[in-house]
Amino acid sequence: MSTNQVSRRDFLRVSGLAGTALCLGFYFPSSAKEAEIVNTSGVPKSEVELNAWIHIDTDGKVTIFNHRAEMGQGSFQSVPQIIAEELEVDLKEVNIILAQGNREKYGSQITGGSSTIRGSYKNLLKLSATARIMLITIAAKKWNVPITACYAESGHVLHKASGKKFHYGELVVDASKLEAPKEVVLKKISEYKLIRKPLHRQDTPLKTNGTAIFGLDKKLPGMLYATVERNPRLRGIVKSFDASAALKIPGVTKVFKVRMGVFNTFREGVAVVANSTWAAMQGKKALKVEWDDSGFEHINTTEIYRRQQEDLQTKEGLYLKKQGNPDDILRQEGKTIDVVYQTPYQSHSCMEPVNCVAHYQGDKVEIWGPIQAPEWVQDYISGQLGLPKEKVIVNMTFLGGGFGRKAFMDYPHEATMISKEIGAPVQVVWTREDDATQGPYRPGISYRCQGAIHNGEVTALKFRMSGQNNDHWRGGKTDQANRSTSEGFLKPYFDSIKNISFAEVQFETPVPTMWWRSVYASTNGFAYESFLDEVALAAGKDPLDLRRQYLQDERCQRLIDKMEEVSGWKKRKKNEGFGAAITECFSSTVGQIVKVSKDASGKIKIDQVWAVMDCGWYVNPDIIRAQVEGSIIMALGAATIHEITFKDGLVEQRNFYDYKMPRITDIPPIEVHIMENDADAGGVGEPGLPAFAPALTNAIFDLTGKRIRKLPFDLSAV
Amino acid sequence: MINLNINQKSYEVDADPDMPLLWAIRDLVGLTGTKYGCGVAQCGACVVHLNGEAVRSCVTKVSRAEGKKIVTIEGLSKNNDHPLQLAWNEVNVPQCGYCHSGQLMSAAVLLRENPNPTDEDIDSAMSGNICRCGTYPRIRKAIHLAAELHKKEGGTK
Amino acid sequence: MAVILSMIGIMAFGLSTLNNRPNVTGETIQKIKKDSIASVRAFEQVYQVLMSPRCMNCHPSGDIPLQGDDSHLHEMHPKRGQDGKGVFAMKCANCHQPNNTPGLHTPPGNPDWHLPPADMKMVFQGKTAHELAKQLVNPKQNGNKSMKQLLEHADDGLVLSGWNSGEGRSQPPMSHAAFKKAWETWINTGAYAPKSK
Repeated sequence: MSTNQVSRRDFLRVSGLAGTALCLGFYFPSSAKEAEIVNTSGVPKSEVELNAWIHIDTDGKVTIFNHRAEMGQGSFQSVPQIIAEELEVDLKEVNIILAQGNREKYGSQITGGSSTIRGSYKNLLKLSATARIMLITIAAKKWNVPITACYAESGHVLHKASGKKFHYGELVVDASKLEAPKEVVLKKISEYKLIRKPLHRQDTPLKTNGTAIFGLDKKLPGMLYATVERNPRLRGIVKSFDASAALKIPGVTKVFKVRMGVFNTFREGVAVVANSTWAAMQGKKALKVEWDDSGFEHINTTEIYRRQQEDLQTKEGLYLKKQGNPDDILRQEGKTIDVVYQTPYQSHSCMEPVNCVAHYQGDKVEIWGPIQAPEWVQDYISGQLGLPKEKVIVNMTFLGGGFGRKAFMDYPHEATMISKEIGAPVQVVWTREDDATQGPYRPGISYRCQGAIHNGEVTALKFRMSGQNNDHWRGGKTDQANRSTSEGFLKPYFDSIKNISFAEVQFETPVPTMWWRSVYASTNGFAYESFLDEVALAAGKDPLDLRRQYLQDERCQRLIDKMEEVSGWKKRKKNEGFGAAITECFSSTVGQIVKVSKDASGKIKIDQVWAVMDCGWYVNPDIIRAQVEGSIIMALGAATIHEITFKDGLVEQRNFYDYKMPRITDIPPIEVHIMENDADAGGVGEPGLPAFAPALTNAIFDLTGKRIRKLPFDLSAV
Repeated sequence: MINLNINQKSYEVDADPDMPLLWAIRDLVGLTGTKYGCGVAQCGACVVHLNGEAVRSCVTKVSRAEGKKIVTIEGLSKNNDHPLQLAWNEVNVPQCGYCHSGQLMSAAVLLRENPNPTDEDIDSAMSGNICRCGTYPRIRKAIHLAAELHKKEGGTK
Repeated sequence: MAVILSMIGIMAFGLSTLNNRPNVTGETIQKIKKDSIASVRAFEQVYQVLMSPRCMNCHPSGDIPLQGDDSHLHEMHPKRGQDGKGVFAMKCANCHQPNNTPGLHTPPGNPDWHLPPADMKMVFQGKTAHELAKQLVNPKQNGNKSMKQLLEHADDGLVLSGWNSGEGRSQPPMSHAAFKKAWETWINTGAYAPKSK
């Protein structure tokens, strides 16, 4: 790989060749499920709505556009790894460029729901194979031999018999004039040379010498820096402000009120513009602002859970799923369990705090930043400013973490409004404290779980959740149950347990909430998988056997066998606690076994975590292992170390000193196993997270008999 | 004007002496490999070497750095080939990568002072650096590997 | 209040050890007027200060300093190291600047920030008044300090920084002047230790 991101020179070189290079695109007919591949070379964009992932210039240089955000999950490697496989190019020889936001070209770019691979791999394989066939076709024609006498390798087409070869650059102009073939034969898994191999990530070298450009690293000529003091109660408006002290800070040039959209509402703040980040930060500290947040409840954490848990005792809520009649069964004979679980609000707290560069230029605006959803930003800013979409250019930098937080439009909108006000390019930097105190957060949720056991069998499960519904912030219907009420819960249970219901008991606060890595599965998984452990105990079954019995699905059975095999579940000794949990989200299933024991001082120690991931077809096993390791560590923090709490409407945590993070000293050994099959690809970035907390607390129960139903809990105080 | 010696180059910067070194390096000198993470010496994303010590540039005033040798991630090696950088690549350590400038600069001091660190030594050196992606197991593995590479090279780096 | 004295060791120290130390001037010795009741009373004041977070946090029983008014283990687990100045990438001065860093939850500063060295840990944490008093006057446990040096230690820069501890941190329970007075009274009246309980 020769370059990483679009330097001005490279970009001109690539786009300047658009007429002569081979550009294949997807055409997304609105009704079709699969994209149609068409040759877009030289076709004016205005006539056909198309896209190009692959550019080949006449020197044979291949450029691959990665249409998804790179926030650590590895799209910068895995998307090119797919393309290079079927295109037959050497991954080290290609340029990889983070694409701009463009829904018409790329379809969905939102990097969320662990969707990058599962959402695009089939199209990417086909697109790349198509390009290869077109290049081979031209070579065969030039040599006057049958296509079958030729093959492609490392950016060349070779003639088998003679060994003659052309590099792609010698073929690309003619290939670009061909009609794209309708059908191409894709490689079998056994034929893969790159896919399914643990190749080194192409972005690693950039991340070890400081050359990777994250949002905060973007600099423009004449760029100023801004910070914003936003309403600490997350809502409401600026009543008045006194900028006199701020303006005395050397370097501070302007102070003004700014309003930015926050989902379907807005918030206000006071922007401080300066010639360095530090001056802007000093200016912000010197500001005096009076806020008007009347009309919004000044929420307290204790009140949140009191209200949720009171409602769970008295309200049925809105059903998302209901089969059989759990209520009747729960009233009949047999053992019943009725318990409440509680999970906390969480902050994404990416290592790179939220930030954005915007350059408003009257008839257009250009944006650079750590952005998970460039096409959403484009749509939103275009709508807010009344600019045509093509005049809103959204560039993705590398993201220093995303986890859901950087999929929203508030911070690019804010940066745009500040640039508009000052008439210059600006980088808006959120301090760590801004990042921690402004949300949106993962919602804190209470769960009431009821189960009936008769003759040692599970006869009914009734689940109710009460917590904020993220969809409501995006205009979702309020008369329907949260569609994620059962997220994380494995579907085969519905086949083997006749009476099951999931309902949402609605709960609102003024606090913005939104997706946080693995979303509702991250909290549902704790409640539902802990509860199944309680059910297993009541039914007199081994927890893993219970899952094996009720998950009558071939892939689940194999997963459970693997969990048992790698962890030595059956051979566990006295003084060792073993806990299991299995969750499914974003089309992947992950099972985890946690082993705990007591250290010399009697404190709980996590000895080992085994994770088994079934994500079907996959690209890079080492990236999968890394994602699962990281998910487990993030889950460890959320389960045992940090939470967001509210007092009188204010967020109580501000920085890593009170929203503490797991450190290298806290990390147990983690072993990740990947199931081998060719089922449709599932997600990788998130599904490894939800099973950890319940596997841990189930292990603690196994060791101590103590059932933990509330997160986070202090591991050293169990 | 304050003179800063960064990666063996001299820079004149027009900075308030109280400005943290971090912002002078990033905004005034334009070397962006050193990262802002917390601003209060909690996370280690901003670690640079000041006369060889792994200081946190977010709380180190630019005046403290005057007349001293500063090395940032850009200056850790000429060709991205410090044993730690090679090991980071081999083990595929970074995910988002944002914290790794600081992780590498901390690890470099560890290896210099202890070319053969145990797990406990790694804990002692690296517990000041936060990684939200959870790359800790790989950081540990890569430091051990770097120590091996370093030995093979005869400890020239 | 009846103060029962522990005479063992301390009395002997007050006389013989002092007289035997070559670096103690006649002037210092002249000042000492043995008064066990006043001495122990003064040490009660001294003890309150030394056991306050501002002093005790850097005199931990383990090799990791303490932090905060609740004296929890220092967040990122910095280690003492041989010289008390930390290890590897976790040396005290990497975060603790010559001066306090402005703001809440920022590192307090001192040009010589350190813990006692590994070969002389001078632990305060967990010590009774009796134990601490005995430790303080024992050169084998107090950093080889003579009584004169001990007296002077009240004005040591790092000791003084306990009263300039940065935003948001509690102060020791009395002023530095009051502490210094109690410290000197304790030493100048014979450096008696309260009875062990």
